[in-house]
Amino acid sequence: MSLNQQVMIALPKGRLYDQARGLLARAGIMMPESDNGSRKLVVSDASGRFDFVSLKPVDIPVYVESGAIDAGIVGTDILREIESDVYEPVDLKIGVCRLVVAAPSERELPLSQMVCIATKYPRTAERFFRGRNAHVHIVKLEGSVEIAPLLGLADAIVDLVETGRTLRENGMRVVEEVAAVSAKLIVNRTAMKMKSAAINHLITQLDAVVYEHR
Amino acid sequence: MERNVIGLPAGFRDLLFEEAETRRRVENGFAAVFSSGGYREIVPSGVEFLDVYGRGNQGVKDRTFKFLDRDDNLLALRADFTPSVARIVAGRLRAGPLPIRLWYSGSVFRKADRHRGQFHEFSQIGAELIGVNSIARDAEVLDVALTCLMGAGVEDACVHVNHAGIFRGIVAALGLDARSLEKVKSAIDRKDMRTLGTRLEQLGVAAPVRSQVNTLSRCVGDAGVLAEASASVANDESLRAIGELVSLSGLLPQWASRIVFDLTEIDELEYYTGAMFNFFSPSHTGELGRGGRYDGLLKEFGADLPAVGFSLSLDRISECL
Repeated sequence: MSLNQQVMIALPKGRLYDQARGLLARAGIMMPESDNGSRKLVVSDASGRFDFVSLKPVDIPVYVESGAIDAGIVGTDILREIESDVYEPVDLKIGVCRLVVAAPSERELPLSQMVCIATKYPRTAERFFRGRNAHVHIVKLEGSVEIAPLLGLADAIVDLVETGRTLRENGMRVVEEVAAVSAKLIVNRTAMKMKSAAINHLITQLDAVVYEHR
Repeated sequence: MERNVIGLPAGFRDLLFEEAETRRRVENGFAAVFSSGGYREIVPSGVEFLDVYGRGNQGVKDRTFKFLDRDDNLLALRADFTPSVARIVAGRLRAGPLPIRLWYSGSVFRKADRHRGQFHEFSQIGAELIGVNSIARDAEVLDVALTCLMGAGVEDACVHVNHAGIFRGIVAALGLDARSLEKVKSAIDRKDMRTLGTRLEQLGVAAPVRSQVNTLSRCVGDAGVLAEASASVANDESLRAIGELVSLSGLLPQWASRIVFDLTEIDELEYYTGAMFNFFSPSHTGELGRGGRYDGLLKEFGADLPAVGFSLSLDRISECL
């Protein structure tokens, strides 16, 4: 349970990884060149003040909320779905996309009737439709959500869209936007208090990189 | 039918030997500090009417373990000590001499989210001083809490101190409707200063008030930050609140190195009315406990009495040792 004064930061594996790393580098926090042969799970930056670990994005808020890791970079799609109790001091403006309701182009979506929604974001979807007083039935899927309406599993989906190309290729259209999504720096509530010098440095540097030298 | 006699339901645990002994030692140490300060023990019932919860804290009420009694009254396992204390004081002690100094220790039960590594049952110990509203009594309670923590062996413990009136005064000056205020509070709670700035600007909040909010968001440190905050805010309520913290600091010179004035947080539930305390240790990744002045709660139970108190997590304190 002991905290050392080192600040550990979780980076998201996958599409955001290189951009997150690039932002940190521009903020003066240099991670070592990744050598593919290395199996080290935790690496330190050049100054030795920061440690990094790469994790699956959905796991990052869990680690950071518990305090096992001090800070992380993760999308608001995941943050809102998990309803994490963490600080979100910097919107990093990377991984920008939209969470939308999408349905097959040729089909009407009658929200007056019970509609079945397939999604990777069941809690967000439920909150959204409850806010609309629409009674929906939600099926949680782990991937390729856009196929569900084509195969008759669901009437519509709630999913991320960046360009909308995947939707179009599958004969779907955006019905409504649920939320704008981007990646944020998140910080554990106790770490913010107990390691304030290093974490405030991280926040100030990242904020400057994102907002002052665009 | 298979009987569950060997296992334990998910989210619960047993403490054996060393863990139980550590907890017992910590509890005994606290009890000695409480006793020498004139605090007397109470053992509240483990079950309450569900309606006891949810006064200002719907989050706790939603997480209670609920069941029905023989007459179909909705009951809950104790999910928080302070409402029990309020009920007892309002019902049985209101006519007695004031102030009332009492302490308690025991389990509270709240349903944790599935698979998040949290327990449903946790162990709290705390004290309340009821019937007097003064900075001297706030200082007394904070002194008792810190003495307990040091005595237990959490020698690196510290307390972040704030005052509900500081933000309340600024909110009054913002003149926002409830919905807009929620958005402002959520940005502050996430420490998302850019979003906060944008929202305040969109809501038409004047630049001087925006800059006050910004100054407060940086006020963390020794008593010096109180002077900085004083110089920045312009409304009487906030200034009076900062003045109270200056007095509090003056009453506790022996704890100066343990007290961090931290004006960056807000009390989202609007439960506290005066000084607010959050206890931490560099040896633990979670908050050790919290407390403060809550002059509004007892009125809801029918006794309009001011109160100040704290509760600490026996589990987390034990994990520090």
